[in-house]
Amino acid sequence: MIRIEGLAKRYGDVEVLRDVTAEIRKGEVIAIIGPSGAGKSTLLRCLNLLEQPTQGAIWIDGVNLLDRRADVPSIRQKMNMVFQSFNLFAHLSALDNLTLAPRKLRRVPRAEAEAKAMDLLRLVGLAEKADSFPDELSGGQQQRIAIARCLAMEPEVILFDEPTSALDPTTVSEVLPVIRRLAREGMTMAIVTHEMAFARDVASRVFYMDEGGIYEEGPPEQIFEHPTRERTRTFIHRIRRFACRIGSPDFDLYAMNAEIEAFCEKHILPRKTRDDLLLVVEETLQLYRPALQTAPLDLAIGYSERNQDLELVWEHAGPPADPRAGEHPSEDFGWSILRGLTEDLAYERVGDRNRLSMRMARR
Amino acid sequence: MLESPAAGVPLRIGVSATREPFSFVDRDGRISGHDGELARRLGMRLGRPVEFLNMKFMALIPALQSGKIDAIVTGMTATEERRRLVAFSRPYYRNAQVMLVRRSAAPARGKLSSVADLQRRRVGVLMGSAHETWVLRNLPQAEMLQYKTVADVTLAVKQRKVDAALHDADPLRALMREDASLGRLGDALFAFDCGAGFASSADDLREQFNAFLAEIRQNGVYDDMRARWMEGRGEASPRVDLPADRGVLVAGVSDVGLPFVAVQEGRLTGFDVELAERFAARLGRELRLANMDFGSLVAAVASGKADLIVSSIYITPEREEQIDFSAPYYAMETHVAALKTELAATAADQPAAPSAPPLAQRVADSFHANLIKENRYRLILDGLQTTVAIALCSVAIGTLLGAAVCFLRMSGAAVLNVPARMYIAVLRGTPVLVVLMLVFYVAFASVDIPPPLAAIIAFALNFGAYAAEIFRTGIEGVDRGQTEAGLAMGFTRAATFLHIVLPQMVQRILPVYKGEFISLVKMTSIVGYIAVQDLTKASDIIRSRTFDACFPLAMVAIMYFAISWVLIRLLDFCELRLDPKSRRRRGARR
Repeated sequence: MIRIEGLAKRYGDVEVLRDVTAEIRKGEVIAIIGPSGAGKSTLLRCLNLLEQPTQGAIWIDGVNLLDRRADVPSIRQKMNMVFQSFNLFAHLSALDNLTLAPRKLRRVPRAEAEAKAMDLLRLVGLAEKADSFPDELSGGQQQRIAIARCLAMEPEVILFDEPTSALDPTTVSEVLPVIRRLAREGMTMAIVTHEMAFARDVASRVFYMDEGGIYEEGPPEQIFEHPTRERTRTFIHRIRRFACRIGSPDFDLYAMNAEIEAFCEKHILPRKTRDDLLLVVEETLQLYRPALQTAPLDLAIGYSERNQDLELVWEHAGPPADPRAGEHPSEDFGWSILRGLTEDLAYERVGDRNRLSMRMARR
Repeated sequence: MLESPAAGVPLRIGVSATREPFSFVDRDGRISGHDGELARRLGMRLGRPVEFLNMKFMALIPALQSGKIDAIVTGMTATEERRRLVAFSRPYYRNAQVMLVRRSAAPARGKLSSVADLQRRRVGVLMGSAHETWVLRNLPQAEMLQYKTVADVTLAVKQRKVDAALHDADPLRALMREDASLGRLGDALFAFDCGAGFASSADDLREQFNAFLAEIRQNGVYDDMRARWMEGRGEASPRVDLPADRGVLVAGVSDVGLPFVAVQEGRLTGFDVELAERFAARLGRELRLANMDFGSLVAAVASGKADLIVSSIYITPEREEQIDFSAPYYAMETHVAALKTELAATAADQPAAPSAPPLAQRVADSFHANLIKENRYRLILDGLQTTVAIALCSVAIGTLLGAAVCFLRMSGAAVLNVPARMYIAVLRGTPVLVVLMLVFYVAFASVDIPPPLAAIIAFALNFGAYAAEIFRTGIEGVDRGQTEAGLAMGFTRAATFLHIVLPQMVQRILPVYKGEFISLVKMTSIVGYIAVQDLTKASDIIRSRTFDACFPLAMVAIMYFAISWVLIRLLDFCELRLDPKSRRRRGARR
């Protein structure tokens, strides 16, 4: 139904989208998730040309939207949009907001348009607000009117651009059930959202967007339970990262420790965890001290807010070298500390780099 | 120079050296004057050096009594009181006491007995007239006040805003017939010939006029006109009806008053008007009279806005540098007019002012004179019509123009928005009066444009600049999200603007727009500058005939207020209709 090919969008020198290719089939509910600035809203707004793509093609029912001859307004009638800021017409009552487009664009007689509009208002639970003006309604009510306004044009697709981001947590639950109901009734939808539970629940497919494109896509179980790619995992598990490079044996250990402490403080880790982490870092560095003569060592610390895992990954270039080779836990005090404080200590060779990973043990 | 003896016991003379010519301090710091010399001569005679002690007059007698000085020689009058305290010599000078008054103040309150008395007085003149030039040259110390119409000059005399004013002899005679309070001061100041003025390039027309003059002088028409206008009371001129199919002849006139040009029964009439009518008829052209300020006449004919000007214009050398004149057709003197009560010659035989009639009677008289007499209300109604027409047309065109400029201004392309920005900046930064003059005298200099049309163009240009900015703020006030929502629904850009942005914009801008509208209505009061007879000009004309400032001005003020009020109510009504919430309230009541 909608096919996107090689879509790119730049604002001056900033490349927001590069080479996006995707397809949305009839009846699908696509949840578009990802960190801020990943281009989720831009992608959605390109679909109905509220943003003009720099290059690429958008095929809708076999018509390329970017073709000069394409009748964009009539394509848009089939593909309405719900905005983060509702964007109701301020000079019209709720009812007139619903009837304006059918009457002006479809030439539906007023009485007929109003009857249909009342049905839709009933559907979203706001029939008694038909005569109210937007500034007399709460955010949740406005957004439900906006959804009803979309439905009034009987679109084939609805694009939702962060429909609940401007709402407070209690009103979010007025709006999501309405969207859920549309999904159940088989409406084709693309929803940009930060509500992960909702996305997982309502979507038939999830686009995880990052690095200016669709970084990973798949059914919600895959994306939310077993993300295959690292950035997806980072996002899904809400992993916070800290990275630093140790350039020589004479690096400033105290400065690095201070940064790690600041990281722990920022994510409110317990004092005990912090002390353990610093100890593990110090002991591991002892293992690497000989290797530091030849190549710099990269340390990455990842903390998942979702399951509170704290992971450390050490990497350096050079010939294969497993630091565990010289392990004699019984004799070596350093190794006994490491083994005691960490779990899943693993070595792997990635390309020409050696990687040692470990997870702080939970106690 | 008297040499006093250098040695010996000094003779101490008390003086109060502030009283010329008796005793004063001269340039060199010495005590001088009649008494100074007297004292020195006394010293010489006694063979003693003179020492002056200059003190305050009232300290002299105590100083003499205490022996600080030997004598007082300073023009002291020997009064009885002083004789009791000190001994006086025999009197040496008999002095008279006079009262001194400030020189400038004294004649200012006196009656006027000759033109020379006008120095240091306030003298009214018509702006751009030969009178003005004469006062500048001959009464340099007089305070000259320039007025734009003869009516204003006359009114200034009557209301004592000036002490006297310069007037042409014949209009003054006509005035004095109407108004007994005015009198003439002295003899004629000077005389000039009057002629019709033509642009330097219009030699043909000037020749035709001269031929026409010669002809009417010969066939008696001229004498008849003179007899009717100048000697008898101004009879209505015979209507001159001849085929007028050879185009239009625009004659510039200024209603300086009978017998030359005045508005009677709602139309221009007078010797000059008849002359112009007869000339136009002779040419077979339709006459169009443009009634303007006297000071604008020369500029009007020089710039081609008028084909000729006939308005008792003196053929002065200054004017001949700018325009050409026909052969003279009338010789006229200039007199000084003043209130009879101010004139030395007539003040005495003025009867005591009759007690003022009751207020109601005065109002009724004023009403009659200003509105009923000569159907003057028609002038007001015509003026009202003109004012309303100019205002409404200007607003309508200006609004469309503003919309177009706003569209360009909001365009992203510099080619479009830079000219629009410049247009707005220039028009908003220029007084509308200047724009009006530029449109009439410069932009359409060579085009025969009816003055009301020029006024509409000028005001529309001005209004357009303001409207453009009002529209822009209105449009920018509608948040962009609604436009996006409209587009996303499938409305085209134009339809989105029409159905979503426009209704909200109109609702937003109406209060400001209303204010601009009203201020434009009031601004149109300056169109008299280019000879449009609007409401303000109508009151000027009435004033020029009745010399009553209060009634016509008050009436016009009320008229403007009425127009504004009606327009405000109308726009208020629109505003209410456009407010969606009030619409709902009305709906609920139904």
